[in-house]
This record gives sequence, structure tokens and C-alpha cells, in this order.
Amino acid sequence: MTMTEVPPSRPPAVRAGVARMVRIRSLPGKIRAIAFLSVLAVAAMFTVSWFAVSDARDGLRVIGHDAGPQVVATGDLYYALSDMDAQLAAVLLMGREQNLGSGRAKALQVYDQRRSQAHRALLQGSNLARNDPAEQQTARSMLDALGRYEEFAGQALQLDQRQSHTAGPPGQEVRSLYTQATDIMKLDVLPKAYNLTLDNGTTVRRTYESKHSAVLAGRVWVLLAGLVLIVILLALQAYLAVNFRRLINPVLAIATLATVVLIGGTIGLLTSEANHLKKAKGDGFDSVLSLSRARAISNNANADETRYLLDPTLADTYEQVYLDKSQEILYVPAGNLGEYYQQVDAKVAKGSGFMGFLGVEAQHVTLPGQATALSRTLDAYRGVQHDDAGIRRLSTTPGGRHTAIVLRTGTASQDFGSYDQRLVTLTAIHQKAFTDAIKDGDDGLNGWNIALPVAAVLIAILVLVGVRPRLSEFR
Amino acid sequence: MRVGRIGAGLALAVALAGCGTAGASGQSIADKDTLTIGVSKDQPGLGLRKPDGTFAGFDIDVARYLGAHLEKKPKKVDFKVVQYSDRESSVQTGKVDLVISSYSITPERKTKVAFAGPYYVAHQDTLVRTSDAGIHNVRDLAGRRLCAVNGSVSWQRVTKERGVHASLVQAATYGDCLTKLTSNALDAISTDDLILAGFAAQKGRSVRFVNAPISDERYGVGIAQGDVTGCEDINKAITEMYLDGTATKLLKKWFGATGLNLTTTVPQFEGCG
Repeated sequence: MTMTEVPPSRPPAVRAGVARMVRIRSLPGKIRAIAFLSVLAVAAMFTVSWFAVSDARDGLRVIGHDAGPQVVATGDLYYALSDMDAQLAAVLLMGREQNLGSGRAKALQVYDQRRSQAHRALLQGSNLARNDPAEQQTARSMLDALGRYEEFAGQALQLDQRQSHTAGPPGQEVRSLYTQATDIMKLDVLPKAYNLTLDNGTTVRRTYESKHSAVLAGRVWVLLAGLVLIVILLALQAYLAVNFRRLINPVLAIATLATVVLIGGTIGLLTSEANHLKKAKGDGFDSVLSLSRARAISNNANADETRYLLDPTLADTYEQVYLDKSQEILYVPAGNLGEYYQQVDAKVAKGSGFMGFLGVEAQHVTLPGQATALSRTLDAYRGVQHDDAGIRRLSTTPGGRHTAIVLRTGTASQDFGSYDQRLVTLTAIHQKAFTDAIKDGDDGLNGWNIALPVAAVLIAILVLVGVRPRLSEFR
Repeated sequence: MRVGRIGAGLALAVALAGCGTAGASGQSIADKDTLTIGVSKDQPGLGLRKPDGTFAGFDIDVARYLGAHLEKKPKKVDFKVVQYSDRESSVQTGKVDLVISSYSITPERKTKVAFAGPYYVAHQDTLVRTSDAGIHNVRDLAGRRLCAVNGSVSWQRVTKERGVHASLVQAATYGDCLTKLTSNALDAISTDDLILAGFAAQKGRSVRFVNAPISDERYGVGIAQGDVTGCEDINKAITEMYLDGTATKLLKKWFGATGLNLTTTVPQFEGCG
């Protein structure tokens, strides 16, 4: 928010000086006084315009180049971390069987890949933490916790390989090591990554609210200051016309015209900048934030499905958190998973009546291609839930557990991958709208830091040049 | 004075231009001087009204901390007892500004109120009589008498989510459940471990934990939908509470002796707006 301060009242000495000047009864004295007032008004108009344009520039910087992109960066970090743990769970579930899904080796390879992604992101701590000491501390403690996670994960993997079990829950010791690892991830590392994303979202929202309204309010100030200047210029024009019996002073007329153009241009600029900010936030950022949260939580829920098979003693909890997370992604009123599957099918087919991240997205379709990308995402989400229903049904049927694991590591894994891909495609549409709006905003501001002072100085010079010949008549 | 009036006008304009998103009652909690916080009166360890009328417990200490650490200005905190079944409506009607009362964030509640936090993640477990050796997990509650507190989601997690056919015995409060459990009027209380821990401590060896958690209960701060600024400010204060070590201190103070596994790192927030 830009505070508009009331200037302190002038000290008596200055006031006396101004009074003396104004009191000058002579014609040139009066002309000088009005010319001086015009130059003051030019300075005032320049100042309010400068501040309004700076508000737009600050808004674009924070939203477009700082906190906005950080949302994507921290979202990617969350995904890498969450997927590490998902891959670990999958490897432990597969046991010694090599032909499940894309295979144990492939899952381990993805695990390593995600791990180096996460490390890279965390080591670039300053990049992530925007020079904020508290956030840097967070990044460091995440790195420490990740180190502890990897220790348990490594032990679990080693022991699991030694014990060489068929697909299904590994031995008690491995499960306990895995629980310790996943607890660190779930309770320590992931919350910090997710909260960083939310923090950046808060920064963007607050910056938008203050800067967008400041830019709009700036238009009013520019208009007011501009009108004052025009009135003074017209008064000067009229004064000269009356006292020197000339119809028009062409140089002053040009100054007045230039002022009108400058007011129009500045107000036009501020209007379009406010629009770019609004588009960047409304069509781009808001959806990018909520869809990257949806992706983070989807990945985590998908891993909960694997963990449900991995550890029968915690299966109830994993099932409950799966439902909880699913309802966060797409909310339909449902008391248990059975009802949830049915409701998702019914409401998605109908195209309305659902909330959550995907529900909000469905209520705000504004961009070309968004509707198609969204309906493809929703279809894929239904597929993921069908798989989930199948896995849970099989795993509780006597003798069905192995088939459940085959489904989980095979078809379900592919279906989830394609849902994730479609979610990414949908997000990219908003990302593009965001980047475009920011670029338009940046382009619109190009050159104004030079144009504004140049125009102001030019108008002031025109005023002085306009009155100079009249003043010289008195020499 | 003229300048004064203009100054006041400007201040008003600035205030109008800069106003954040406010709650249903129109005012964000960030702008209030006093916060009325809905708490429970009968949960030892969490929120308990003492005979002298004051409140004590983890939730109460959290509420005091949050009130004192909101970004804009420290708030005076008033406590008001809210029944479980009235928690949503109290926030919706503005009877209280916030609810901090072992209030689990659920998708259904989120359709009525917003949640800051969670400030802690508890787990649902089951408390039975020590003499009752037949209950090892929640599925063993089939055919047994389970306490159902009005407005609580806990029993629904057993009967509705898990589909366990327990027969329900209504009770107004968890204190009521406990009395009924020990007097053999019902067989089990299934709810958050933090709530059960407080009761278990009261009853000594006559009751025991089943030790088979079935859920994550994310304790949120109930707040009016639309008060995004207030919600964000609370999240910030919760983060601080974990960073400065207060959360660990409070958890140890209230639950250190229970033997529960306490998590002392900041939970994953629900997100505001």
C-alpha cells in the first residue's frame, strides 16, 4: 500500500517568501507566480505518476519474478520429495519379483533421480529462500531431515534385499525402518516444502491486493494532479490573452496539449498494468498454485495406496488419509471410499456438483484449451479412483493380494502417470497465461522510467518558453 | 483544522483501498483487538474448565500463544465454551471468532468453515477397560457398544468409514463416555489419542489404549470462510510457535507423561482460501 502523506505545513519563513512573491502587484510578477505554480503542478503530476508506475513495477516484480515463480520451484521440490518416498514404498512392496510394473530396477532409478532433484533444489537454498533467514533455516533443516530419511531408506532397502521376500508386505524389521523413514518425510520434510509453497502464495496474494488497488488509486491521483495543471495552464493562457490582447499563446497551448496526452497515456498505462496484474493472478497464478497443490497431494495419496498394501498394521490409517486427500483434490460428499467412488463417477459425468482443487478449477474456465485439458484430467482422475477401488477390493479378498499388487504396480501406476501428465498439461495452460500477462506488463512499462521525467521536464520548459517573450516585453 | 480533516480523509481512503478479505461478519480477525475463542470445557489435557472458571490445557495454551503472536497486534483472548455439535455454527454466526477445540479438519466441515493450521496432527485410537482383553483393533468393535458423541467425527470413522457394525451409545461429552465406560454401560471410546491420553491419566490402570491408530486427525483453527488474511496470520503464528520451541514445550507439558509419540515439527498446513 502506498501511503499518501500530507506534506508538513510550510515553515513561516517560506510562507512569508511566497506571500511576498504573490503580493507583487506588477504584471510580470504575477506571470512569474503563475508560471512557478505551473512548474510545481508539473512536479506534482510527475511525482504521483512515478509512484503509481512504481507500484505496478513492484507488483510485477514480486508476482512475476519472485514469489510467483517460487511457488513452482517449491511445488517441484515437494513433488520430487514425495515421489522419492512413493518409489521407495513401491520397491519394498515388489520384493524380489522383477516383472512387476516397470520393475524394481526402474523404480530405484526414479528414486535416485528424484533424490538428486530434491538435493539440487535444497542446496540452492538461497534460490529457494529468497534471502529470508527464516526460510534459509527451513531449507537447511529440510536438508538435515532428508539426510536422516535417506539413512533409514538405505537401511530398509538393504535389509529388504537381504531378506528377499515375495511381492507384498516385507518383514517386520523392514516395515519398521520404512515407517521411520516415511514418518520423517511425512512429518518433517514434506510439510516444510508445502508450507513454503503456501507462504509464497500468501506473498503473491497480499502483494496483488495492495499493488493492484494502489495502481487503480494511482489513476485517480494522476487525473487530479493533471487537472490541476491544466486549470493552471488555462488560467495562465487566459491571463496572457487578457493582458496582452493576443488570442492564444501557441507554446503554452502545446504544453497544455502535451499534458492532456501525458495524463491520457499514464492513465491508459495504469489501467492496462492493473489488468495485466489481474490476469496474471486470476487466470494464471491462482490456478498454478492450486493445481500444483493438487499435484503434490495426488502424488502423496497415490503413495498412500502403495503404503496401504505395504503395511497391514497401518492400513486403516493409510486408507483414511487416502480418502481425506482425495476429497481435498476433488470433493464430493461421501462418508467412506465406497461412496466416494460412486459420487466421483456421478458428479464428474454430470460436470458439476464437486469442489476441491479440481472443482474450483472447473468453476473458473477462462482460457482457450482449458476446458478440454480439464475434462481429460477429470477423466483420468476417475480412472485412478477406479483402480483404487479395484486394488482395495482385491487386497481384502482372500488370495487376491498378489493380483492387487500386480494392479498397483502395473495398470494403476500407468493410469496415475497419465493423470499426473494431464494435470501438468492443464497447469501449463495457466502457467502460460501467467507468463504472458507478466511479460505484457513488463513490456508496457518499458521506457516509462525515462518517458515520464522527460515529458515532465519538457512540459515545464514549454511553460517557461511560453511566458518568456511576454516577460521580456517588460525589460 | 482543515489539514487534519484532509489527513483523516486520506487515512480512510487508504484504509478502504488496502482492506483485506474479511470474514462473514465483515471484519478480519487480524483487525480485532479481542478474540473470542471457542474451546471445550471437558477435555483434560486439551481444554478443561477448572472450578474457578478459568481454562487449562494444550488447546488453551495454543490459543493464548496465537493471540499474543498475531502479526498486527497482540490480542486479548476471551474463551467461550462451544459444544462439539455447535462448532461450525458458532463460527458461521460469529458467536466466536475462532474455534480451538481438538477440531479436526475434515472435507465436510470445510464446506462450512475455513481452517488455519493444523497446529497438531493427532491419531484416532481406542480406549477400553483393561479387563476387556477381546479388543485388539477397531474391527473387533463389531457388535460391541461404542460411545458416540454428538458432533464428533470419531465414531463415524469406525462405523461409517470402516463399516464396522458397532452399536452406538449416545453421550454428550467424552467425560460422559468415560463414566459410561468404567460403569460398563459401553465397551469402547474411539477418538483422538490426545483426548484419550488425558482421560487415561485420570483413570489409571482401569482403562487401556488398544494402540491401533486408524486416522490422522489434523487439529485446525476454525475461522470464518473468507477471512483469508486472518487465516494466513494464524498460520504464520503457528510456524513461529514451532520455530521458537513453544510447541515442543507445550506438548511436553501436557502430554509428556502419557508415553504418546509426540511430533514436534510444524504440520503441513491446509492452506487459506
